[in-house]
Amino acid sequence: MPIEVVLLFAWMLVIAFLAFIACTFEDLESDMGSQSNPNSQVQLAAQVGQVNRFFNKAISGEPLSNAMYCVTAGTIAWLLLRQFEPLVPGEEWKAAVLAIPIGVLAATMMNVIFATTAHCGRVAGQKRFEQPIYLDVLYGHLMPIGAHAFMTTFCITVIAYIQSNLGTLSGNTALNHPFALPLLGFIWGITVGAIGSSTGDVHYGTEREFQDRPFGEGKRVVYHGKITRYAECGVRTQKDIAGFCAKFGGPCTGLTFGLIILFENWRSMVGMQLGGFLPALPVFTATGDMAAIFAIVLGLLIVAALMVGNLVFVKWVRKKYGPFVGV
Amino acid sequence: MILIVGCVVIGGLLASLGAHLLPVGGAPAAMGTATGIATGTVQIMLGAVLTGLFTAASVATFTDNLLLVSLSGALGATVMICVVMFMANVLYAFGCGVVPVSGRVEVDPITKEPQTAYKTPQTDGHGVPNVVFVSGTMGGFIGGFGGALMYYALLNYAHFSAGTAAVVAFSIFVANAILAAYNIRGTIEGFHDPKFKRLPKALVSSLAVSLLCGIVVVLATIILGGAL
Repeated sequence: MPIEVVLLFAWMLVIAFLAFIACTFEDLESDMGSQSNPNSQVQLAAQVGQVNRFFNKAISGEPLSNAMYCVTAGTIAWLLLRQFEPLVPGEEWKAAVLAIPIGVLAATMMNVIFATTAHCGRVAGQKRFEQPIYLDVLYGHLMPIGAHAFMTTFCITVIAYIQSNLGTLSGNTALNHPFALPLLGFIWGITVGAIGSSTGDVHYGTEREFQDRPFGEGKRVVYHGKITRYAECGVRTQKDIAGFCAKFGGPCTGLTFGLIILFENWRSMVGMQLGGFLPALPVFTATGDMAAIFAIVLGLLIVAALMVGNLVFVKWVRKKYGPFVGV
Repeated sequence: MILIVGCVVIGGLLASLGAHLLPVGGAPAAMGTATGIATGTVQIMLGAVLTGLFTAASVATFTDNLLLVSLSGALGATVMICVVMFMANVLYAFGCGVVPVSGRVEVDPITKEPQTAYKTPQTDGHGVPNVVFVSGTMGGFIGGFGGALMYYALLNYAHFSAGTAAVVAFSIFVANAILAAYNIRGTIEGFHDPKFKRLPKALVSSLAVSLLCGIVVVLATIILGGAL
Protein backbone atom coordinates (compact mmCIF):
# COMPACT_ATOMS: atom_id res chain seq x y z
CA MET A 1 0.00 0.00 0.00
CA PRO A 2 1.45 3.46 -0.90
CA ILE A 3 2.67 5.54 2.03
CA GLU A 4 0.16 8.34 1.21
CA VAL A 5 -2.74 5.96 1.77
CA VAL A 6 -1.25 4.60 4.99
CA LEU A 7 -0.74 8.16 6.27
CA LEU A 8 -4.32 9.02 5.33
CA PHE A 9 -5.67 6.19 7.47
CA ALA A 10 -3.26 7.03 10.29
CA TRP A 11 -4.45 10.65 10.39
CA MET A 12 -8.04 9.42 10.36
CA LEU A 13 -7.36 7.45 13.54
CA VAL A 14 -5.71 10.48 15.15
CA ILE A 15 -8.83 12.51 14.33
CA ALA A 16 -11.12 9.83 15.82
CA PHE A 17 -9.02 9.74 19.01
CA LEU A 18 -9.12 13.55 19.32
CA ALA A 19 -12.90 13.42 18.78
CA PHE A 20 -13.21 10.98 21.70
CA ILE A 21 -11.25 13.32 23.97
CA ALA A 22 -13.12 16.41 22.73
CA CYS A 23 -16.61 15.08 23.40
CA THR A 24 -15.67 13.54 26.75
CA PHE A 25 -14.46 16.93 27.96
CA GLU A 26 -17.41 18.71 26.35
CA ASP A 27 -19.84 16.63 28.37
CA LEU A 28 -17.87 17.11 31.56
CA GLU A 29 -17.64 20.86 30.93
CA SER A 30 -21.42 21.04 30.60
CA ASP A 31 -21.76 19.02 33.82
CA MET A 32 -19.23 21.22 35.60
CA GLY A 33 -21.12 24.38 34.74
CA SER A 34 -24.58 22.76 34.60
CA GLN A 35 -25.25 23.90 31.06
CA SER A 36 -27.89 22.46 28.75
CA ASN A 37 -31.00 20.43 29.51
CA PRO A 38 -30.62 19.25 33.15
CA ASN A 39 -29.97 22.86 34.14
CA SER A 40 -33.74 23.34 33.96
CA GLN A 41 -33.83 21.50 37.31
CA VAL A 42 -31.13 23.71 38.86
CA GLN A 43 -33.10 26.71 37.66
CA LEU A 44 -36.30 25.25 39.09
CA ALA A 45 -34.74 24.15 42.40
CA ALA A 46 -34.65 27.57 44.04
CA GLN A 47 -38.20 28.24 42.85
CA VAL A 48 -39.49 25.18 44.74
CA GLY A 49 -37.59 26.12 47.92
CA GLN A 50 -34.47 24.05 47.30
CA VAL A 51 -31.69 26.58 47.87
CA ASN A 52 -28.52 24.99 46.46
CA ARG A 53 -24.81 25.43 45.77
CA PHE A 54 -24.96 24.40 42.09
CA PHE A 55 -23.27 26.44 39.37
CA ASN A 56 -25.91 27.77 36.96
CA LYS A 57 -24.37 28.42 33.55
CA ALA A 58 -27.04 28.23 30.86
CA ILE A 59 -25.29 30.39 28.27
CA SER A 60 -27.24 28.84 25.40
CA GLY A 61 -27.78 25.40 23.93
CA GLU A 62 -24.52 23.43 23.95
CA PRO A 63 -24.22 23.17 20.13
CA LEU A 64 -24.40 26.91 19.65
CA SER A 65 -22.05 27.85 22.47
CA ASN A 66 -19.50 25.22 21.39
CA ALA A 67 -19.76 26.35 17.78
CA MET A 68 -19.04 29.89 18.95
CA TYR A 69 -15.93 28.85 20.90
CA CYS A 70 -14.64 26.63 18.11
CA VAL A 71 -15.21 29.25 15.40
CA THR A 72 -13.50 31.89 17.55
CA ALA A 73 -10.53 29.59 18.17
CA GLY A 74 -10.49 28.49 14.50
CA THR A 75 -10.62 32.03 13.15
CA ILE A 76 -7.84 33.31 15.39
CA ALA A 77 -5.73 30.23 14.68
CA TRP A 78 -6.36 30.58 10.94
CA LEU A 79 -5.35 34.27 10.96
CA LEU A 80 -2.21 33.52 12.98
CA LEU A 81 -1.34 30.61 10.67
CA ARG A 82 -1.46 32.96 7.69
CA GLN A 83 0.99 35.23 9.51
CA PHE A 84 3.32 32.56 10.92
CA GLU A 85 3.50 30.02 8.09
CA PRO A 86 5.60 32.23 5.74
CA LEU A 87 8.13 32.61 8.59
CA VAL A 88 8.87 28.85 8.71
CA PRO A 89 8.85 27.64 5.07
CA GLY A 90 8.86 23.86 4.79
CA GLU A 91 8.05 23.44 8.48
CA GLU A 92 4.50 24.82 8.65
CA TRP A 93 3.62 22.57 11.58
CA LYS A 94 5.67 24.86 13.80
CA ALA A 95 3.22 27.68 13.03
CA ALA A 96 0.31 25.41 14.05
CA VAL A 97 1.96 24.56 17.37
CA LEU A 98 1.87 28.24 18.28
CA ALA A 99 -1.30 29.43 16.51
CA ILE A 100 -3.78 26.80 17.68
CA PRO A 101 -3.21 27.13 21.47
CA ILE A 102 -3.37 30.94 21.23
CA GLY A 103 -6.70 30.75 19.37
CA VAL A 104 -8.06 28.22 21.85
CA LEU A 105 -6.92 30.31 24.82
CA ALA A 106 -8.89 33.29 23.48
CA ALA A 107 -12.00 31.10 23.07
CA THR A 108 -11.56 29.73 26.61
CA MET A 109 -11.41 33.25 28.01
CA MET A 110 -14.70 33.98 26.25
CA ASN A 111 -16.18 30.86 27.81
CA VAL A 112 -15.09 31.88 31.31
CA ILE A 113 -16.51 35.41 30.84
CA PHE A 114 -19.82 33.97 29.63
CA ALA A 115 -19.84 31.49 32.52
CA THR A 116 -19.37 34.32 35.04
CA THR A 117 -22.07 36.57 33.60
CA ALA A 118 -24.49 33.68 33.03
CA HIS A 119 -24.12 32.37 36.60
CA CYS A 120 -24.29 35.77 38.30
CA GLY A 121 -27.17 36.92 36.11
CA ARG A 122 -29.25 33.80 36.60
CA VAL A 123 -28.70 33.48 40.32
CA ALA A 124 -29.24 37.23 40.87
CA GLY A 125 -32.60 36.77 39.13
CA GLN A 126 -33.51 34.21 41.82
CA LYS A 127 -33.16 36.69 44.68
CA ARG A 128 -36.90 36.56 45.34
CA PHE A 129 -36.50 32.81 46.06
CA GLU A 130 -33.71 33.60 48.56
CA GLN A 131 -31.03 31.87 46.49
CA PRO A 132 -27.69 33.54 47.36
CA ILE A 133 -24.73 33.94 44.99
CA TYR A 134 -22.08 31.87 46.78
CA LEU A 135 -18.79 33.49 45.80
CA ASP A 136 -16.73 30.39 46.61
CA VAL A 137 -18.96 28.42 44.19
CA LEU A 138 -18.39 31.07 41.52
CA TYR A 139 -14.60 31.28 41.96
CA GLY A 140 -14.14 27.56 42.51
CA HIS A 141 -15.83 26.49 39.31
CA LEU A 142 -14.40 28.96 36.80
CA MET A 143 -11.01 27.26 36.55
CA PRO A 144 -12.38 23.72 36.00
CA ILE A 145 -14.89 25.07 33.46
CA GLY A 146 -12.09 26.86 31.60
CA ALA A 147 -9.82 23.81 31.73
CA HIS A 148 -12.49 21.47 30.36
CA ALA A 149 -13.49 24.01 27.70
CA PHE A 150 -9.85 24.42 26.67
CA MET A 151 -9.52 20.67 26.07
CA THR A 152 -12.73 20.51 24.01
CA THR A 153 -11.97 23.54 21.87
CA PHE A 154 -8.33 22.52 21.46
CA CYS A 155 -9.20 19.03 20.21
CA ILE A 156 -11.88 20.35 17.83
CA THR A 157 -9.53 23.01 16.42
CA VAL A 158 -6.81 20.40 15.92
CA ILE A 159 -9.33 18.12 14.15
CA ALA A 160 -10.32 21.04 11.90
CA TYR A 161 -6.65 21.83 11.24
CA ILE A 162 -5.83 18.22 10.34
CA GLN A 163 -8.88 17.88 8.10
CA SER A 164 -8.28 21.14 6.26
CA ASN A 165 -4.64 20.05 5.72
CA LEU A 166 -5.20 16.30 5.45
CA GLY A 167 -3.86 16.11 1.90
CA THR A 168 -0.78 18.19 2.69
CA LEU A 169 -0.04 16.08 5.77
CA SER A 170 -0.44 12.79 3.90
CA GLY A 171 1.39 13.81 0.76
CA ASN A 172 -1.33 14.81 -1.75
CA THR A 173 -2.75 18.34 -1.51
CA ALA A 174 -5.85 17.41 -3.55
CA LEU A 175 -7.16 15.60 -0.49
CA ASN A 176 -7.39 18.74 1.66
CA HIS A 177 -10.99 19.28 2.75
CA PRO A 178 -12.68 22.05 0.71
CA PHE A 179 -13.88 23.83 3.88
CA ALA A 180 -11.62 26.33 5.66
CA LEU A 181 -10.46 25.74 9.24
CA PRO A 182 -13.05 28.04 10.93
CA LEU A 183 -15.94 26.44 9.00
CA LEU A 184 -14.80 22.95 10.00
CA GLY A 185 -14.55 24.25 13.57
CA PHE A 186 -18.15 25.45 13.27
CA ILE A 187 -19.37 22.08 11.93
CA TRP A 188 -17.68 20.01 14.62
CA GLY A 189 -18.52 22.58 17.30
CA ILE A 190 -22.22 22.21 16.51
CA THR A 191 -21.93 18.41 16.31
CA VAL A 192 -19.92 17.98 19.50
CA GLY A 193 -22.43 20.16 21.34
CA ALA A 194 -25.41 18.28 19.89
CA ILE A 195 -23.93 14.97 21.03
CA GLY A 196 -22.86 16.23 24.45
CA SER A 197 -26.32 17.66 24.94
CA SER A 198 -28.26 14.62 23.76
CA THR A 199 -26.16 11.76 25.15
CA GLY A 200 -24.11 12.83 28.15
CA ASP A 201 -26.79 14.93 29.80
CA VAL A 202 -28.80 11.80 30.51
CA HIS A 203 -26.31 10.58 33.11
CA TYR A 204 -26.27 13.94 34.88
CA GLY A 205 -29.99 14.69 34.58
CA THR A 206 -31.57 11.29 35.16
CA GLU A 207 -29.10 9.82 37.62
CA ARG A 208 -26.78 12.24 39.41
CA GLU A 209 -29.19 15.15 39.78
CA PHE A 210 -31.78 12.91 41.49
CA GLN A 211 -29.58 10.43 43.29
CA ASP A 212 -31.71 10.32 46.44
CA ARG A 213 -34.68 9.06 44.35
CA PRO A 214 -35.29 5.42 43.44
CA PHE A 215 -32.79 4.04 40.89
CA GLY A 216 -34.07 2.43 37.69
CA GLU A 217 -36.95 4.69 36.76
CA GLY A 218 -37.50 7.83 34.73
CA LYS A 219 -37.71 10.87 36.96
CA ARG A 220 -41.36 11.68 37.65
CA VAL A 221 -42.71 15.17 37.15
CA VAL A 222 -43.34 15.54 40.91
CA TYR A 223 -39.59 15.22 41.53
CA HIS A 224 -38.74 18.08 39.19
CA GLY A 225 -36.79 20.82 40.89
CA LYS A 226 -36.18 18.70 43.99
CA ILE A 227 -32.56 17.96 43.15
CA THR A 228 -30.07 16.11 45.38
CA ARG A 229 -28.32 18.88 47.29
CA TYR A 230 -26.04 16.86 49.56
CA ALA A 231 -22.92 15.05 48.42
CA GLU A 232 -21.17 11.97 49.77
CA CYS A 233 -19.51 14.43 52.14
CA GLY A 234 -20.93 17.91 52.73
CA VAL A 235 -23.04 20.04 50.42
CA ARG A 236 -22.97 19.11 46.73
CA THR A 237 -21.42 21.34 44.11
CA GLN A 238 -20.70 20.66 40.46
CA LYS A 239 -17.24 19.35 41.30
CA ASP A 240 -18.85 16.24 42.81
CA ILE A 241 -21.03 15.86 39.72
CA ALA A 242 -18.23 16.07 37.13
CA GLY A 243 -16.22 13.49 39.09
CA PHE A 244 -19.18 11.10 39.05
CA CYS A 245 -20.11 11.64 35.39
CA ALA A 246 -16.45 11.21 34.34
CA LYS A 247 -16.82 7.53 35.27
CA PHE A 248 -19.54 6.74 32.74
CA GLY A 249 -21.48 9.59 31.09
CA GLY A 250 -18.41 11.47 29.85
CA PRO A 251 -16.57 8.54 28.24
CA CYS A 252 -19.83 7.25 26.68
CA THR A 253 -20.43 10.67 25.13
CA GLY A 254 -16.84 10.77 23.91
CA LEU A 255 -17.27 7.34 22.40
CA THR A 256 -20.38 8.55 20.55
CA PHE A 257 -18.57 11.40 18.83
CA GLY A 258 -15.44 9.29 18.31
CA LEU A 259 -17.49 6.57 16.61
CA ILE A 260 -19.30 9.08 14.40
CA ILE A 261 -16.04 10.67 13.24
CA LEU A 262 -14.46 7.24 12.79
CA PHE A 263 -17.38 5.80 10.79
CA GLU A 264 -17.74 8.88 8.60
CA ASN A 265 -14.06 9.19 7.71
CA TRP A 266 -13.50 5.44 7.57
CA ARG A 267 -16.30 4.73 5.12
CA SER A 268 -15.22 7.60 2.84
CA MET A 269 -11.61 6.43 2.80
CA VAL A 270 -12.37 2.74 2.44
CA GLY A 271 -14.77 3.70 -0.37
CA MET A 272 -11.95 5.63 -2.08
CA GLN A 273 -9.63 2.68 -1.67
CA LEU A 274 -12.11 0.06 -2.90
CA GLY A 275 -13.21 2.25 -5.82
CA GLY A 276 -9.58 2.55 -6.98
CA PHE A 277 -9.59 6.30 -6.34
CA LEU A 278 -6.48 6.27 -4.14
CA PRO A 279 -3.70 7.23 -4.65
CA ALA A 280 -4.09 8.59 -8.23
CA LEU A 281 -7.28 10.65 -7.49
CA PRO A 282 -8.94 10.77 -10.96
CA VAL A 283 -11.68 13.31 -10.05
CA PHE A 284 -15.07 13.47 -11.79
CA THR A 285 -14.63 10.11 -13.49
CA ALA A 286 -16.31 6.72 -13.16
CA THR A 287 -13.64 5.87 -10.57
CA GLY A 288 -14.74 8.83 -8.43
CA ASP A 289 -18.36 7.70 -8.74
CA MET A 290 -17.40 4.15 -7.74
CA ALA A 291 -15.59 5.48 -4.65
CA ALA A 292 -18.78 7.34 -3.64
CA ILE A 293 -20.93 4.25 -4.27
CA PHE A 294 -18.68 2.06 -2.10
CA ALA A 295 -18.78 4.70 0.67
CA ILE A 296 -22.60 4.81 0.47
CA VAL A 297 -22.88 1.00 0.62
CA LEU A 298 -20.60 0.95 3.67
CA GLY A 299 -22.70 3.68 5.25
CA LEU A 300 -25.85 1.61 4.67
CA LEU A 301 -24.18 -1.41 6.27
CA ILE A 302 -23.20 0.66 9.34
CA VAL A 303 -26.76 2.01 9.69
CA ALA A 304 -28.22 -1.50 9.30
CA ALA A 305 -25.81 -2.85 11.93
CA LEU A 306 -26.78 -0.08 14.36
CA MET A 307 -30.50 -0.69 13.80
CA VAL A 308 -30.14 -4.43 14.43
CA GLY A 309 -27.88 -3.68 17.40
CA ASN A 310 -30.51 -1.39 18.92
CA LEU A 311 -33.24 -3.98 18.31
CA VAL A 312 -31.25 -6.68 20.11
CA PHE A 313 -30.16 -4.29 22.88
CA VAL A 314 -33.69 -3.01 23.62
CA LYS A 315 -35.02 -6.58 23.65
CA TRP A 316 -32.25 -7.64 26.05
CA VAL A 317 -32.81 -4.66 28.38
CA ARG A 318 -36.58 -5.26 28.51
CA LYS A 319 -36.05 -8.92 29.34
CA LYS A 320 -33.33 -8.26 31.90
CA TYR A 321 -35.00 -5.36 33.73
CA GLY A 322 -38.61 -6.47 33.32
CA PRO A 323 -41.79 -4.37 33.68
CA PHE A 324 -42.01 -1.44 36.11
CA VAL A 325 -42.56 -2.71 39.65
CA GLY A 326 -42.42 0.49 41.74
CA VAL A 327 -45.36 2.45 43.03
CA MET B 1 -32.34 29.13 -12.33
CA ILE B 2 -35.49 27.03 -11.92
CA LEU B 3 -33.22 24.12 -11.01
CA ILE B 4 -31.65 26.14 -8.16
CA VAL B 5 -35.03 27.23 -6.77
CA GLY B 6 -36.38 23.69 -7.19
CA CYS B 7 -33.48 22.09 -5.32
CA VAL B 8 -33.66 24.67 -2.51
CA VAL B 9 -37.44 24.18 -2.15
CA ILE B 10 -37.16 20.38 -2.15
CA GLY B 11 -34.24 20.58 0.30
CA GLY B 12 -36.23 22.88 2.59
CA LEU B 13 -39.30 20.63 2.51
CA LEU B 14 -37.16 17.57 3.26
CA ALA B 15 -35.56 19.48 6.16
CA SER B 16 -38.98 20.16 7.64
CA LEU B 17 -40.12 16.56 7.15
CA GLY B 18 -36.88 15.22 8.63
CA ALA B 19 -37.19 17.44 11.70
CA HIS B 20 -40.70 16.09 12.36
CA LEU B 21 -39.48 12.50 12.15
CA LEU B 22 -36.66 12.96 14.65
CA PRO B 23 -37.44 11.80 18.20
CA VAL B 24 -36.98 15.02 20.15
CA GLY B 25 -37.26 14.66 23.92
CA GLY B 26 -35.91 18.09 24.82
CA ALA B 27 -35.04 18.88 28.44
CA PRO B 28 -37.51 16.32 29.92
CA ALA B 29 -35.70 13.48 28.13
CA ALA B 30 -32.50 14.39 30.00
CA MET B 31 -34.35 13.51 33.22
CA GLY B 32 -35.89 10.38 31.73
CA THR B 33 -39.30 12.08 31.81
CA ALA B 34 -39.90 11.97 28.03
CA THR B 35 -38.99 9.60 25.20
CA GLY B 36 -36.42 10.58 22.59
CA ILE B 37 -33.12 12.38 22.26
CA ALA B 38 -32.43 14.74 25.13
CA THR B 39 -32.04 17.97 23.19
CA GLY B 40 -33.97 20.44 21.03
CA THR B 41 -35.25 19.84 17.50
CA VAL B 42 -33.00 22.38 15.84
CA GLN B 43 -29.91 21.34 17.76
CA ILE B 44 -29.97 17.62 16.99
CA MET B 45 -31.09 18.28 13.40
CA LEU B 46 -28.17 20.67 12.84
CA GLY B 47 -25.69 18.25 14.41
CA ALA B 48 -26.83 15.47 12.10
CA VAL B 49 -27.06 17.54 8.95
CA LEU B 50 -23.72 19.25 9.41
CA THR B 51 -22.07 15.83 9.77
CA GLY B 52 -23.81 14.90 6.52
CA LEU B 53 -22.68 18.15 4.88
CA PHE B 54 -19.08 17.41 5.83
CA THR B 55 -19.23 14.03 4.08
CA ALA B 56 -21.19 15.44 1.13
CA ALA B 57 -18.55 18.16 0.67
CA SER B 58 -15.78 15.54 0.68
CA VAL B 59 -17.64 13.40 -1.87
CA ALA B 60 -18.43 16.44 -4.04
CA THR B 61 -14.69 16.92 -4.59
CA PHE B 62 -14.42 13.70 -6.58
CA THR B 63 -17.89 13.08 -8.08
CA ASP B 64 -20.33 15.47 -9.76
CA ASN B 65 -23.30 13.11 -9.54
CA LEU B 66 -26.22 14.78 -7.73
CA LEU B 67 -27.65 11.54 -6.36
CA LEU B 68 -24.33 10.26 -5.03
CA VAL B 69 -23.50 13.53 -3.25
CA SER B 70 -27.00 13.78 -1.75
CA LEU B 71 -27.00 10.13 -0.66
CA SER B 72 -23.57 10.57 0.93
CA GLY B 73 -24.89 13.53 2.93
CA ALA B 74 -28.02 11.58 3.87
CA LEU B 75 -26.00 8.64 5.15
CA GLY B 76 -23.63 10.92 7.07
CA ALA B 77 -26.60 12.37 8.95
CA THR B 78 -28.13 8.91 9.43
CA VAL B 79 -24.94 7.42 10.87
CA MET B 80 -24.68 10.37 13.28
CA ILE B 81 -28.25 10.10 14.52
CA CYS B 82 -28.13 6.29 14.79
CA VAL B 83 -24.94 6.31 16.88
CA VAL B 84 -26.41 9.04 19.13
CA MET B 85 -29.67 7.11 19.66
CA PHE B 86 -27.88 3.84 20.33
CA MET B 87 -25.44 5.36 22.80
CA ALA B 88 -28.28 7.25 24.51
CA ASN B 89 -29.95 3.88 25.08
CA VAL B 90 -26.70 2.48 26.50
CA LEU B 91 -26.57 5.43 28.92
CA TYR B 92 -30.23 5.06 29.91
CA ALA B 93 -29.84 1.33 30.48
CA PHE B 94 -26.46 1.11 32.22
CA GLY B 95 -26.19 4.60 33.73
CA CYS B 96 -29.74 5.10 34.95
CA GLY B 97 -31.30 1.61 34.90
CA VAL B 98 -34.10 2.81 32.63
CA VAL B 99 -35.85 0.66 29.98
CA PRO B 100 -36.47 2.36 26.60
CA VAL B 101 -40.24 2.82 26.35
CA SER B 102 -42.63 4.93 24.30
CA GLY B 103 -45.07 7.21 26.08
CA ARG B 104 -47.36 7.82 23.10
CA VAL B 105 -48.35 4.28 22.06
CA GLU B 106 -49.39 1.25 24.12
CA VAL B 107 -47.78 -1.23 21.71
CA ASP B 108 -44.69 -0.64 19.57
CA PRO B 109 -46.11 -0.44 16.00
CA ILE B 110 -43.05 -2.23 14.54
CA THR B 111 -42.00 -4.90 17.06
CA LYS B 112 -45.45 -5.20 18.73
CA GLU B 113 -43.77 -5.07 22.17
CA PRO B 114 -46.06 -3.77 24.97
CA GLN B 115 -44.98 -0.37 26.31
CA THR B 116 -47.29 0.69 29.13
CA ALA B 117 -46.17 -1.97 31.62
CA TYR B 118 -42.56 -0.77 31.38
CA LYS B 119 -43.26 2.95 31.71
CA THR B 120 -42.57 4.88 34.94
CA PRO B 121 -45.77 6.55 36.21
CA GLN B 122 -45.95 10.34 35.78
CA THR B 123 -43.50 10.27 32.89
CA ASP B 124 -44.03 10.48 29.15
CA GLY B 125 -41.79 7.47 28.44
CA HIS B 126 -38.01 7.29 28.47
CA GLY B 127 -35.12 6.12 26.28
CA VAL B 128 -35.22 5.36 22.56
CA PRO B 129 -37.50 2.35 21.84
CA ASN B 130 -37.41 0.64 18.45
CA VAL B 131 -40.20 2.54 16.69
CA VAL B 132 -38.59 5.81 17.76
CA PHE B 133 -35.20 4.58 16.55
CA VAL B 134 -36.63 3.74 13.12
CA SER B 135 -38.38 7.12 12.89
CA GLY B 136 -35.18 8.92 13.90
CA THR B 137 -33.19 7.00 11.29
CA MET B 138 -35.69 8.05 8.62
CA GLY B 139 -35.58 11.65 9.86
CA GLY B 140 -31.79 11.75 9.74
CA PHE B 141 -31.75 10.28 6.22
CA ILE B 142 -34.39 12.65 4.84
CA GLY B 143 -32.94 15.74 6.54
CA GLY B 144 -29.40 14.87 5.49
CA PHE B 145 -30.54 14.29 1.91
CA GLY B 146 -32.23 17.70 1.88
CA GLY B 147 -29.16 19.47 3.23
CA ALA B 148 -26.77 17.78 0.81
CA LEU B 149 -29.14 18.43 -2.12
CA MET B 150 -29.12 22.15 -1.36
CA TYR B 151 -25.33 22.09 -1.01
CA TYR B 152 -24.95 20.37 -4.39
CA ALA B 153 -27.30 22.84 -6.13
CA LEU B 154 -25.52 25.85 -4.66
CA LEU B 155 -22.10 24.43 -5.51
CA ASN B 156 -22.75 23.23 -9.05
CA TYR B 157 -25.75 25.21 -10.34
CA ALA B 158 -25.26 28.54 -8.53
CA HIS B 159 -21.44 28.13 -8.72
CA PHE B 160 -20.81 29.21 -5.14
CA SER B 161 -17.48 28.29 -3.54
CA ALA B 162 -17.59 25.21 -1.27
CA GLY B 163 -17.55 27.27 1.93
CA THR B 164 -20.27 29.70 0.81
CA ALA B 165 -22.44 26.85 -0.48
CA ALA B 166 -22.17 25.11 2.90
CA VAL B 167 -23.00 28.25 4.88
CA VAL B 168 -25.99 29.11 2.65
CA ALA B 169 -27.33 25.52 2.61
CA PHE B 170 -26.94 25.36 6.37
CA SER B 171 -28.70 28.73 6.83
CA ILE B 172 -31.71 27.70 4.73
CA PHE B 173 -31.79 24.45 6.67
CA VAL B 174 -31.80 26.28 10.02
CA ALA B 175 -34.79 28.40 8.96
CA ASN B 176 -36.77 25.28 8.06
CA ALA B 177 -35.71 23.38 11.19
CA ILE B 178 -36.79 26.30 13.40
CA LEU B 179 -40.18 26.40 11.66
CA ALA B 180 -40.52 22.68 12.35
CA ALA B 181 -39.55 23.25 16.00
CA TYR B 182 -42.28 25.89 16.35
CA ASN B 183 -44.77 23.44 14.89
CA ILE B 184 -43.66 20.59 17.18
CA ARG B 185 -43.74 22.75 20.32
CA GLY B 186 -41.71 20.68 22.74
CA THR B 187 -41.33 16.96 22.32
CA ILE B 188 -42.21 14.52 19.53
CA GLU B 189 -41.52 10.80 19.21
CA GLY B 190 -41.74 10.40 15.42
CA PHE B 191 -44.22 9.34 12.77
CA HIS B 192 -46.44 7.51 15.29
CA ASP B 193 -46.83 10.60 17.50
CA PRO B 194 -50.18 12.46 17.27
CA LYS B 195 -48.17 15.68 16.82
CA PHE B 196 -46.90 14.35 13.48
CA LYS B 197 -50.33 15.16 12.03
CA ARG B 198 -49.37 18.83 12.24
CA LEU B 199 -46.82 18.26 9.46
CA PRO B 200 -48.86 19.78 6.55
CA LYS B 201 -48.89 23.21 8.21
CA ALA B 202 -45.10 23.12 8.62
CA LEU B 203 -44.67 22.04 5.00
CA VAL B 204 -46.70 25.03 3.77
CA SER B 205 -44.58 27.45 5.85
CA SER B 206 -41.44 25.66 4.77
CA LEU B 207 -42.45 25.95 1.12
CA ALA B 208 -42.91 29.71 1.48
CA VAL B 209 -39.58 30.22 3.27
CA SER B 210 -37.62 27.93 0.95
CA LEU B 211 -39.10 29.61 -2.13
CA LEU B 212 -38.03 32.99 -0.81
CA CYS B 213 -34.56 31.63 -0.02
CA GLY B 214 -34.35 30.11 -3.52
CA ILE B 215 -35.22 33.46 -5.12
CA VAL B 216 -32.61 35.25 -2.97
CA VAL B 217 -29.99 32.68 -4.01
CA VAL B 218 -30.86 33.18 -7.69
CA LEU B 219 -30.67 36.98 -7.30
CA ALA B 220 -27.30 36.65 -5.56
CA THR B 221 -26.09 34.41 -8.38
CA ILE B 222 -27.23 36.88 -11.06
CA ILE B 223 -25.98 40.05 -9.35
CA LEU B 224 -22.71 38.79 -7.89
CA GLY B 225 -21.92 36.20 -10.56
CA GLY B 226 -18.99 33.96 -9.65
CA ALA B 227 -17.84 36.25 -6.84
CA LEU B 228 -19.32 33.96 -4.18
